[in-house]
This record gives sequence, structure tokens and C-alpha cells, in this order.
Amino acid sequence: MALVEARAIEKRFSGVVAVKDVDLLVAEGELLGLFGPNGAGKTTMFNIIAGAVRPTAGAVRFRGVDITAVPAFRRARMGIGRTFQVVRPFRGLTVMENLMAAVPSAAARDGRPADLAALLRGVGLEKRANDPAAALTLGMLKRLEVARALALSPQLLLLDEPLAGLSDRECADMLQFVATVRRSITIVMVEHNVHLALPICDRAVVMDAGSIIAEGTPGEIRKNPAVIRAYLGEDAA
Amino acid sequence: MSRAGSTAALAAVTVALGAVAAALPWLGVSSYVRTLVYYACYYMALGQAWNLISGMTGYVSFAHGALAGIGAYATVIALNAQWPVAAGLAAGAAAAGLASLVIGATSLRLRGAAFTFATLFFQELVLLIVRKLPAAGGPGGLVLQEIYPTSLPYVLMVVLAAVATIAVAALRFSRTGVRVLAIKHDETAAVAIGIDSTRLKVAIFCASAAIAGLVGSIHAIFVGSLFPDVVFAVEISLIALAVPLIGGVGTAMGPVVGALLYVGMREVFQVVAPGLHLTIVGLLILAVVLFMRDGIVGAAARAWATRRRTAVPAEGG
Repeated sequence: MALVEARAIEKRFSGVVAVKDVDLLVAEGELLGLFGPNGAGKTTMFNIIAGAVRPTAGAVRFRGVDITAVPAFRRARMGIGRTFQVVRPFRGLTVMENLMAAVPSAAARDGRPADLAALLRGVGLEKRANDPAAALTLGMLKRLEVARALALSPQLLLLDEPLAGLSDRECADMLQFVATVRRSITIVMVEHNVHLALPICDRAVVMDAGSIIAEGTPGEIRKNPAVIRAYLGEDAA
Repeated sequence: MSRAGSTAALAAVTVALGAVAAALPWLGVSSYVRTLVYYACYYMALGQAWNLISGMTGYVSFAHGALAGIGAYATVIALNAQWPVAAGLAAGAAAAGLASLVIGATSLRLRGAAFTFATLFFQELVLLIVRKLPAAGGPGGLVLQEIYPTSLPYVLMVVLAAVATIAVAALRFSRTGVRVLAIKHDETAAVAIGIDSTRLKVAIFCASAAIAGLVGSIHAIFVGSLFPDVVFAVEISLIALAVPLIGGVGTAMGPVVGALLYVGMREVFQVVAPGLHLTIVGLLILAVVLFMRDGIVGAAARAWATRRRTAVPAEGG
């Protein structure tokens, strides 16, 4: 059984079709890259899984449970953590408090809450634990947001453009961190930078104009004529 | 000092000062000073109630005067029906808490200014209803039939101000407090980490309203008579907001500093410039907003942190 099963998803925004008839399966333990040019519908699809956007048609299942109408906060409690394309830290709270806010209550979870100090060490922010989030750089905020999502102890981590706005060095650090995290968790990553992100994916799905145009291993995706056409134009294919 | 240690120290100092203030009636202090202390505690407690919802979540309330008024009316009606004092106070807190659900359960589902407009509307609506309500005495108001010793509301108000201050301090650094503050900083991100923001906001508003109701209940015993135009004057809601705004929104010490400053200024300006004290409070808020956006306590904390940062290398060298 797939961890996430989205079937016949359609989303319209005032008559504009952002996603049409999309089937997306995410297997447990995999790192799935969701790629596509601007306006491809990947962020809408991402938000539909996260619960920020409700589909016009179709159904989303998580661990076999229909979550199509489940609000975002409840999906988070079910084990779906997410980050944002434009970082959304709690700027007035300290770095540690940002993580504290995400720890599920003992009553809501059977397991032990995540070890927050270890999480901060994992993202290299252990020395900034007591600093306000507002004092961090963009690269640090991106890492804080991943750590905050992990503080939920999620089964599925949704990463929205984790490399956007980062320097080459920060991109390398982030990808290394994602590669470390993926050992214990299922990840869906939406990313613009295909060249950097594709190599660490187990599988990739490429969308264009609201539909899936290709899916497969990174090697298959690189050679797919439809993908080359979508990114480089008709002549390139 | 750790945050738990700071909260414990603040609680110990608050209890000690509260005990001294509560003992003043028996220490031969003049009734003028006691009245000043009473009003400082009144605005402190009302300011903490406002701070709890608006300072912690960022949803600005203009209804705290009205909620205190509802508490006052409920208590006087209960006491006139021969209820014991404790039950009368509980009735005031419960009535205000229930009234908050009317506003909160509807407008707190929405984000943005809906809640603020709902509280403004509520303030006026309650005044209109109370004026028409025979059980509330109509425009003529209500009089408390039994006369209680002034030390009773005095001690109760001091205790309430101290308890509310400790409660806000304890909440600020608790896990629940951090989750409430997360809503203030970014509600979308708060929802994404599993926070049921509507439920949490309604619960906090209900607790805040219960404190405001209790403030009104105790004050009703202090003044002994209720006139709707006085009890539900918009001025009270504005001062409930001004006190934490001046002292420091979202901090436990903010309403304490704000209330002491407000009561002190009011005393001075009632002599120097009678009738102008609200104008002066308005100017003070303007000055705070322009030069100390997080209030006096916030500005002092920042100055202290800057001083410590600059002092460390000097000590090291």
C-alpha cells in the first residue's frame, strides 16, 4: 500500500485549471521529486497533499485513510510535516521555541517526542538555540523550517523548494541533510533546481500544464523527450 | 537564569508584593493610597486579561470593558439574589466567559480584522441590550443591596492582579504559550505543525474573558452601584488595551508597568489638566508605538541585552 495515494485530482482556481486528472502515488520510504516548469501545477499538488488547498475533484489517501476533507492541522497530527517555499519561521520566538511549538502533545502521540537538541545539531543550529529566529540568515531559516517539520516526528515530509534562494554551499549542505533524513522518512520534494535535486531522488514525477508528463528514476527522467521538451522547448526534444 | 527560574522568581516577587499590598488596610495606610493601589491592581488585572488574548495571539480586542461589565452585572444580580460572594464572583467570570464564546466561536474562525470588528460591535450591542433589559435595571442601572467592607474587594483585586500576572508569566514559557505565540507570528505555519488555531484562540479568549469578568465582579462589589453608560463606557476597553501597549504587549510585566504608569499619570493630570488624561494616554501610546514598539518592558529588555553583549568582550579582554 502506498503511503500517499492521490487519485484523479483536479483543481480549478476561478475557471483556471491548475491540476487536471492527476494520479500520484508515494511509496513508503522513498524520496520523490516533483518537478516541472513554472505553472506546471506542482505546488498546487503539493498543497493538496499538505491540506492547504482542497481539490475540486479527486481523493487523497494517507496510509489508506481518506484525508481529502481533513484540515491541515489534523494532517500534521497524522504525520504529514511540511516546509514552505518562502520561509515562515515564528520570527519572535527563539530557534528552540520554534521547534517546541511543533512537538506533538504526549496524549496525541504514543512515541517519545523528538529530541530537539539532536534535531538542532542535525541542521547545524545548536549554537543558535536561544537566538530569535529573526536573527538567522535565509539558509539557516530553511534548515530551521526542516527541523521544525521533523519535530512533529512525521511519517511524510513535504519539502517545498528547499534550495530556493540558497548559495551553492548552502544548497550542498541542504541536500546532504535531506539525504541523511531520507533514511528514516518518506519525502516528497518540490524543487525548481532539477540538476541539483534529481540525483538524490529515488523517483521523480514531472508535471507540465497541470498534468503529469513523465515519471521514473532520475536516469529515465533525464532522457525523457517530454521532459526535455517541457524544460527546453520543442526543438530540444 | 533559566526561563523556569525567571518565572519562579517573578512569581515569588509578585506574591511578596501582592502580600504587602493586600495587607495595607491593616497597616494604617491612608484610604487615598489604598484606592490608588486598588485601581493600579484593577487596570493590571484587566490589562493582563487583554494581554492574554491580544498580546499572545495578536487578535486585538475592544471588548474587555464590556466583558468586565457583564461580569459586574452578573455578580450584582447573583448577590442581590442572596448568593454567597464566591458564587457571585464565579457567576461573573462564567457570564463573561460564555459571552466570549458568542464572539470567539464565530469571528475567531476567520483571520485578520474580523475579530476586532466583532469585539467593537459587541461592546455597543451589550450596552444597548443592558439599557433595555429590566433584569439589569434598564438605563437606571443596579444597586448592590448588601454593603460589604471595602477591604474585601481590595484584597480580592490585589490577589487577582497577582494571580493573573503569574498566570501570564507561566503561560508565556510553557509549551501551550509557545504554541499560542506561534499563531501570533504566523498562523499558516502554526496550522502546518498541527496547531488547531481556532480552538486554541477560542480557549484563550474564554480564559481572558473570565479574568475580565472577575475584574468587573470585584469592582462591582467595590463601587456598589452599576450604571450602564459608565460600566460599558468604551473608555474602559481602551484603557485595558493601552495599559499593556504602554508597558509591553505579550509580556507578564508589561501590564504591571503600564498600570502603575497609567494610574500615576491619571492622578497627576487630573490635577494638572483635568479631563485631558485620556488624551495624554493617547499621546503616550503614540510615543511608545513610534519609539518603543514592544513597550517599555520590551525596550528595557533590549537595552539590557545590548549592554550585556557589549560588556562581554570588554570583560574578556
